[in-house]
Amino acid sequence: MIEKIDLWFEERMGWRPIWKALALRNIPKVTWAYTLGSATLLVMVNQILTGILLTIYYVPSPQDAYNSVSFITNEITAGWLIRGLHHWGASAMVILAGLHMIRVVVHGAYKFPREVTWFTGLGLLAVTMAFGFTGYLLPWDQKAYWATTVGTRMLEVVPVIGPWLLRFARGGEELSAVTLTRFYGMHIWVLPALLMLLIGIHMFLVVRIGISAPPKASETEEEGPELEVEA
Amino acid sequence: MSTPRPDQENPEIIGGQRVLGVVPGKPPGGDRKVLDEQEPVMVWPHLLVRHGVAALVVIGIVLVLAIFFDAPLREIANPTLTPNPEKAPWYFAALQELLSMFHPLVAGVLVPGAIILGLAALPYMDRSTRIEPRFRKVAVATFTIFMVVWIILTIIGFAFRGPNWGWVWPWQEWYGEL
Repeated sequence: MIEKIDLWFEERMGWRPIWKALALRNIPKVTWAYTLGSATLLVMVNQILTGILLTIYYVPSPQDAYNSVSFITNEITAGWLIRGLHHWGASAMVILAGLHMIRVVVHGAYKFPREVTWFTGLGLLAVTMAFGFTGYLLPWDQKAYWATTVGTRMLEVVPVIGPWLLRFARGGEELSAVTLTRFYGMHIWVLPALLMLLIGIHMFLVVRIGISAPPKASETEEEGPELEVEA
Repeated sequence: MSTPRPDQENPEIIGGQRVLGVVPGKPPGGDRKVLDEQEPVMVWPHLLVRHGVAALVVIGIVLVLAIFFDAPLREIANPTLTPNPEKAPWYFAALQELLSMFHPLVAGVLVPGAIILGLAALPYMDRSTRIEPRFRKVAVATFTIFMVVWIILTIIGFAFRGPNWGWVWPWQEWYGEL
């Protein structure tokens, strides 16, 4: 059955070379620590799916934001679950991205020729935190309002451009309807576009260059593996 | 390579090599092939199966959290009622803690700037071709110290701070918010 489906698509799309390029290639023997990146990616997919569902009922205005979130949580079938998945997924994504970065540093995987993978990874970590920060405001409850007040106030300490940064983030001197629509626009349009771009480069490079070998444990080993580009 | 006919079977692939023929009998090296530590493996199944298992575990954890702990929703935002303490989201707790300890220019600009620059410049500061941590003690030690300090500051800012950013024991009063 699976062969038939495979053949049907192969004759129409020629997808076997893609599978071969992605999955039927040699890599160094890996450990469980190498799954942290893909786990982050999976949580990202969870965030996209649940996030899209949340936008169906969410209304980004100070009058309606809180009520719409309350409606999602209390009235809509499984709304509480969708929102719960999005809420806990956000923290999981920050933690997993952080653990993934620790793995990469410990394994020295940022070294030549993987610098661009490393830079895009740092960008992805920053985008993840920006996602968390902008999403935090959207329920428009006390916690959201004041956490964003504190968070944006941190921008003010930057010399020279600090006050401007603060007004740029808030869309004024104080948090208002402008802040909410601004954060919403960032959260569902600007940041996802950035995320797609960075993750596209990041994952292309992971496949194109090949993953790095885990460091050897043995102390007696004289020669380490030379860094090399996998064709 | 000639174009494969659609009905042609994929050649069997063992250890990255296409098998052109099968010779009956026992292999001269013994029955089982013991994989060398340095020998490459295939993405499928070696890496993808692990990815699948890890994915199930992670989505299981998030699902259990979502089912048993509702996403919090407090009372509606009130700009005239400032809560005490005001807490930033937990992943900024370390930064908030730093801001309470040092001059804003140090905690808000110099330290975050140094972290971003330091991480971005890692491939250029840790320049040896060796990847084993024992040959990169400075890089790994510096990063480890940074991570440990950052995690401790995050935990303090998240769970050990109460009104007026004063010290509280989390088992006595809880002010942490997710």
